[in-house]
Amino acid sequence: MEIKKSSIAGTLESSDIQIAIEPKKENGIEIELKSSVEKQFGRQIRKVITETLQSLGIKNVKVSAVDKGALDCTIKARVECAAYRAADAKEKYDWEVMD
Amino acid sequence: MPYNLSKQRVPVDFILWKGITHDMDYNFKEKRIFLEDEAEKKNLELFLNNEGINLDKNLEYTVGIYESGKLAATGSFFKNTLRCLAVSFEYQGSGLMNKVVSHLMNEQYQRGYTHIFVYTKCYAAKFFSDIGFYEITRIDGLVVFMENKLNGIQRFTDELSKSRVNGKAAAAIVMNANPFTLGHQYLVEKASCENDVVHLFIVSEEASVIPFSVRYELIRQGTSHLKNVILHETGSYIISSSTFPSYFIKDDESVVSAHANLDLNIFKKYIIPALGIKRRYVGEEPYCEVTKKYNDIMKESLEKDGIECVVVPRLKIQGKAVSASEVRKCIRENRIEEIKNLVPETTYKYFKSEEAKTLINKIINNKNRH
Repeated sequence: MEIKKSSIAGTLESSDIQIAIEPKKENGIEIELKSSVEKQFGRQIRKVITETLQSLGIKNVKVSAVDKGALDCTIKARVECAAYRAADAKEKYDWEVMD
Repeated sequence: MPYNLSKQRVPVDFILWKGITHDMDYNFKEKRIFLEDEAEKKNLELFLNNEGINLDKNLEYTVGIYESGKLAATGSFFKNTLRCLAVSFEYQGSGLMNKVVSHLMNEQYQRGYTHIFVYTKCYAAKFFSDIGFYEITRIDGLVVFMENKLNGIQRFTDELSKSRVNGKAAAAIVMNANPFTLGHQYLVEKASCENDVVHLFIVSEEASVIPFSVRYELIRQGTSHLKNVILHETGSYIISSSTFPSYFIKDDESVVSAHANLDLNIFKKYIIPALGIKRRYVGEEPYCEVTKKYNDIMKESLEKDGIECVVVPRLKIQGKAVSASEVRKCIRENRIEEIKNLVPETTYKYFKSEEAKTLINKIINNKNRH
C-alpha cells in the first residue's frame, strides 16, 4: 500500500487511540507515542502499530499516536483506517488483512 | 447562570431530576457553530466569558458540544492554531475537552493542516501534554505555546543550524515585506554591510494580501546582489500581530507584550543559539502603534541579554518614509507606475508583468489594511 498523504483516525476519548500518519521518504516506520501507560504497555502498543502497518505492506511512514488506554483490537482498527485514508483508497479493501 | 435565555417555562420535575442525577449518562451532541449567525455568536461569547476568556476575532471553524440543547463545551481554530477552548464548570471531568480536540484535529487534517499549534493558559498545559502536544515556550502565569509534534521546534532549529556560519558576526532580520520595497532593501543592505552574514527571516504566515511565495520571491530577487544574506522561513513559530490570539488576555496592552515576549523567547532560546546571532536589525516604525510597542519591548529584552538591537530609521524618499502600505495603496488604486520610485526594479517588474494581474485584482478588491 502506498501512503500518498497525511491522515488521521480515532479520537482522544477514553479507551481509544488517535493515529495520525504522514508519508516519509526515508526507510522505516517511525512511531511517536504519547500514552499514560507507556511504561507498562508502550512496547506492546508500538508492536501492534508496527505489525498492522507491515501487514498492509507499508514500509515508510511516520506515525503519531496519542493513546488513551486502547486495546490491541482498537489500535489495529485505527491504524488500518488511517492507512486506508492516507492511501486514498475508495475500494479494493483487503478484508482478509482485517480479520 | 443565565443560559436559558429564551425564558421558556421549565417543568418542575425536570428541575428535580437535574438536582439528583449528577451521575446520569449525558447525551452529548456535537454541532458546528456558525459565527455568521449573530444569535449563535452571542451565545458563544457569553459562554466563553463565563469561563474567563473572550471570543477571539480570528476564528474560521467552531464546534459546540451540547447537552439537552445547552452548550457544554466548545473549541475553535484559525488556520493551524487551536483557540477558544472551554468546558463549562459543571461538565468538567466528562472528557468533553477530549471530544472537542478530537473533532478539531479531524477537521484540521481534512483541511490539510497536520502541524497544529495551540496558545493557551498555563494551567491547561498539562491537559494538552496528555493529548500529544509539546511545549515550545511559555510566559509564566500568562500563556504557553505548544505544538503537536515531539521535536517540531528542535527539527526547525536543526535545519536552521545547517546555515550557520561559524566564527562570523551574524545578524538577523525578521520581515513580512508586503511587498518588498526600497525601505526593506535599505534595511537589508545596511545589515549586510555591517555584518559578516545576515540571516533574513521571512514571515511564512498567509495573513497578508500578497501571498508568501510572491513575498519570498521578491525578497530573493531584491537581495540577490548581497552575497552574505541567507533567507529563511519563520514557519508557524513566528506569527503576525493581526492574527496573534488575544482571547485569553484581559487588555490590549498586555496582548502586544505577550506576543512580543513569546516571539523573543523563541528567538533567544532557539534561533540565536542555532545561528550564533549577535545583532538584530529592525526598521523604525513611525506609523503603527502596535508594531512600535512590539519593537520597544524587543529592544529592551534583547539588550538585557547582550544582543544588540539596531533600530534603523526608515529610508526616506522625497522627505517621506517609504512604506509598504503606501505601495499597496497605489496598487489598489491602479496607479502601478507610481510604485516605481518606492520599490526595487525587481519588485516593479513583477507588478508590471502578466503573472501579477490576478494578484493585482485581488489587491484592488481587498478591503483589509494588510
